[in-house]
Amino acid sequence: MNGATTVSIVGVGGQGILLAAAILAETATAQGLEVRGSEVKGMAQRGGSVLSTVRFGEHVWSPVSRYADVVIATELLEGVRGLDLLGPRGTLVCAHTTRIPPGGVLRGEEDYPADLAGAAVLNNVRLLAVDAEALAREAGTLRAVNVVLLGAASAVLPFDGSSWRRGLEATVPASILAVNERAFALGRDAVAEEVGQ
Amino acid sequence: MAVVGFGYNPSLVERTFFFSGNEAIAHGAVRAGAGFACGYPGTPSTEIIETLVGLGGIHAEWCANEKVALETAVGASLAGVRSIVTMKHVGLNVAADPLMTLSLTGVNAGLVVVTADDPGMHSSQNEQDNRTYARFAKIPMLEPSDSQEAYDFVAEAFALSERFDTPVLLRSTTRISHGRGQVLPRVAVALEPREYERDLDKYVMVPQHARVRNHIVLERLERLRGFSEESPLNVLEAGTSDFGIIAAGVAYGYAREAFPKAWFLKLGLSNPLPYAKVVRLYEHVSRVAVVEELDPFIEEQVRSLGLPVVGKAAIPAEGELDQDVVFRALEPYVVRKPPRRRRPTVPPAPRLASPAPPAGLPVRHPVLCPGCTHWSVFAVLRRLRLAPMGDIGCYTLGALPPLLALDTCLCMGASVGMMAGFNQALGRKAAAAVIGDSTFFHSGVTSLIDAFSNEAEGLVVVLDNLSTAMTGHQGHPGTGVHPDGRRGPGVDIQRLCEGIGVRCVTVDATDYASLEAAISAEASAPGLGVVVARAPCVLTLRETPGAAAVDAGRCNLCGACLEIGCPALVPGETAMRVTEACTGCGLCIEICRRGALGRAGALLGGAS
Repeated sequence: MNGATTVSIVGVGGQGILLAAAILAETATAQGLEVRGSEVKGMAQRGGSVLSTVRFGEHVWSPVSRYADVVIATELLEGVRGLDLLGPRGTLVCAHTTRIPPGGVLRGEEDYPADLAGAAVLNNVRLLAVDAEALAREAGTLRAVNVVLLGAASAVLPFDGSSWRRGLEATVPASILAVNERAFALGRDAVAEEVGQ
Repeated sequence: MAVVGFGYNPSLVERTFFFSGNEAIAHGAVRAGAGFACGYPGTPSTEIIETLVGLGGIHAEWCANEKVALETAVGASLAGVRSIVTMKHVGLNVAADPLMTLSLTGVNAGLVVVTADDPGMHSSQNEQDNRTYARFAKIPMLEPSDSQEAYDFVAEAFALSERFDTPVLLRSTTRISHGRGQVLPRVAVALEPREYERDLDKYVMVPQHARVRNHIVLERLERLRGFSEESPLNVLEAGTSDFGIIAAGVAYGYAREAFPKAWFLKLGLSNPLPYAKVVRLYEHVSRVAVVEELDPFIEEQVRSLGLPVVGKAAIPAEGELDQDVVFRALEPYVVRKPPRRRRPTVPPAPRLASPAPPAGLPVRHPVLCPGCTHWSVFAVLRRLRLAPMGDIGCYTLGALPPLLALDTCLCMGASVGMMAGFNQALGRKAAAAVIGDSTFFHSGVTSLIDAFSNEAEGLVVVLDNLSTAMTGHQGHPGTGVHPDGRRGPGVDIQRLCEGIGVRCVTVDATDYASLEAAISAEASAPGLGVVVARAPCVLTLRETPGAAAVDAGRCNLCGACLEIGCPALVPGETAMRVTEACTGCGLCIEICRRGALGRAGALLGGAS
C-alpha cells in the first residue's frame, strides 16, 4: 500500500528475537529511514511463539502489518507458520535445522512439519534455508543463531554494510561484538550463491 | 513521523531513541517533571514503572492493587508533586472508585492515569474499551498514536491536569505500549511550585461540597471541549480525495497507511470530542469514516451530531485492526456515491471479525515452566473432589491442556469469593480456591476476611512463589521487595491469615509429600483453611539441583509422569527422555511409580 518494508522475526522465547529486531531497527535508523516496530512477547517466557515486526521506509505509520516482505524464522515450525505472513514474492529466511517441538507434538497428539521446501514452493515465496546452528557454533556461540539469520537476510535487505555494522554496535555488548560480526558474515556468505551476489 | 513541537524547543541531542511506547511514557514523565510514579503490574503497562526505576530521580513503587495505587498518587499530587499512575485496562476497574470522585475534587500538582488497553486480548481476560471511562468520569483523555507522541503527550497531560484541575487519562493500547518508534527527546519542562493548601470544599466530598464540585466538573468539561477545538493535539490534515477519516491512537496509523489520500481528523485529545472540528471535516469531504478499535466510541458521538458516518458497520468491533483490515473494510465506501439525506434510521449492527482459519500446524500454547512448583499443587488438586476456582497469574495456565486443573478465571482475586459462594450455596465444602501470592494481596485478602466472617467452608491454596512472576517478577507486599531491588518489610501470609482467625499452614512446595499431606488434610477438614504452598519461582533461582534422568530399563512408558504435563519430559521410542529444559525440580521423580526417574548421576547405569 506504500513504500514501507516489513520484516517479521518469528521463533520461540529465548532465541534472541527481540535482540534481532533491535539490531534491524538500529540498522534501518543508521540508513536514515523511519522505523516502527511491534512485538508480541507476553507469554514468551512460558514457551509461546514470539513475533517481532520491524517496518522501515521513508514514512511508516503503522507498527504492524498483516503481510511481511521478509520473514526471519529462528525455528522450523515457526518458519512454516510464518509462511502465512508472507505476501507474494516474499522471502523466508529460516533456520531449518532448528526444531523445538511444542507440547502437543511431544505428547504425540500433533505432527511436527517434516520440512519447509514443499510448503514454500506452494506459497510461491523465495526460501533461504540456513543451517544457522552450525554457523553460529562456527562463529563461536550457539546463541548467535539470530545474528546468522540477520546476515542471511541482509542479502535481500536494502542496507549498506556500514549501516549493519552500526546496528550491531548499537545493540550488542562490546565483549561479544566480534563473535556476532563473524556470525553475521557467515550467514551472509551462506546464501550469497543462492541470492547471486 | 508525527513530530509536533507543542511549543517546546527540541533539545540538541546526539541521536533519536528507538523506544517502546512504555519506555517513551516513562522518559516523557521524567521530562515533564513527574516526581512520583506508582501502579500495579499488568501487561501491557508494566514496563513504564520498570523503566522509570532505571531512570532515577523519581520515586517509583508498586502498590498492592490499582485502587491503592491511584489513591497513593492522589496523595502525592495533593502534596505538590506531579504524579503518574499506571495500570492495565482491567486495573482501572479496580481504581474506578477513587477515579470517579477524583474527577470532582480535582488535583493539586498534575496527575496522569495511564491505562494500557489490550485489544485482541494478547494477555488479558477481556478487551474492554477504557475510553468509556473518560466520558464516564468527565475527564480529558489523550491517545498517543506512536512512541514520539507517547513521549510528548505525557507533558501535555500534566499541563492539562494542572490547567483544568482534573486527573487526565492517558490511554495506550498494546501496539502503542509494545510498539516501537523513533523518539526525539525534548528539553525538560519548567515547573511551578504547587504547595499543598488545605481546601475542605474541594477535597472533602460530602454531599453539600460534592454538589458544587459536580457543577464545576460540568463547566470544566465544556471548557475542555473549547480547548479540544483549539488544540494542535487535534489536527485536521488535508487530503486529496473526497473521503475523510476520524481516528485516534494506533488506529490512525492503520488508516493513514490504508488511505494515504484521505482527509484526516487526527485526534490526540479524544475526550471531550471537538464537535466543531468534526463538522469542519464534513465541509471538505462528502463521505466520512471513523476508524477505531473495539467500541464505536467516536462514531456514536459523531452520529449524535446528526452526521452520516461509516464505522462499526464496516470495521470489526472486536480484536485488533491493521492497515489491511481497514483497507478491505472501507474500500467499498471510498468509491460509493455520497449518501443522500434520508429519514432517521437505526445504526446497522456492528461487524464481527471473522475467526482466524485453523492453520493445521501444532500450536505453541504457553505452559508453566519446567520446574515450576505449581505443577505439584495441580497434581495434588486433581485428585481432590473439589471444584478448583482459579485466579489470575502464571497458574491460570493450569487451566489449559495438559493440566485442565482449574475451572474458572474471572478477575483478580475472584477465586476466594467464588469458592465461598459456591460452598455457601451447596452447604458443604465443594470448591477450593487457587490464588497466587501477589493476587492474594491485590484483592484476595478482603474476600478471605469475608468468607471467615460469613462462616463459609473452604480451602484456599496460596501459590506463594515470592514474586509477581507472570509480569516479570515484581515485588509485592509479601516480599517487601521494591522496584529498585531494595528489600523492605514483607507481610507474612500465614500470620496475616491467623490474625484474621483462619487456620493456616505453610509448606515447602518442593516437598511433594508434605504438600500433598497438607492440602489433603485441609480438604477434608471442616470449616475454612489456607495452605500456603511456598517455593521461589524457578525462573528466579540461580542454582538448581541436578537434572532428572531416566533409567531406560525400568521405564515402561506408562505415562504417569506425563500427567504432570512438564515440558521437559518427552516420550521416546522405548522409554521417557528428559530434555535440556529440565531444572531438576524432582516432581517427576516423586510421581514415577516404578523408580525409573532419578537424579542424573544418582541412577545406577542406564541413565540417558
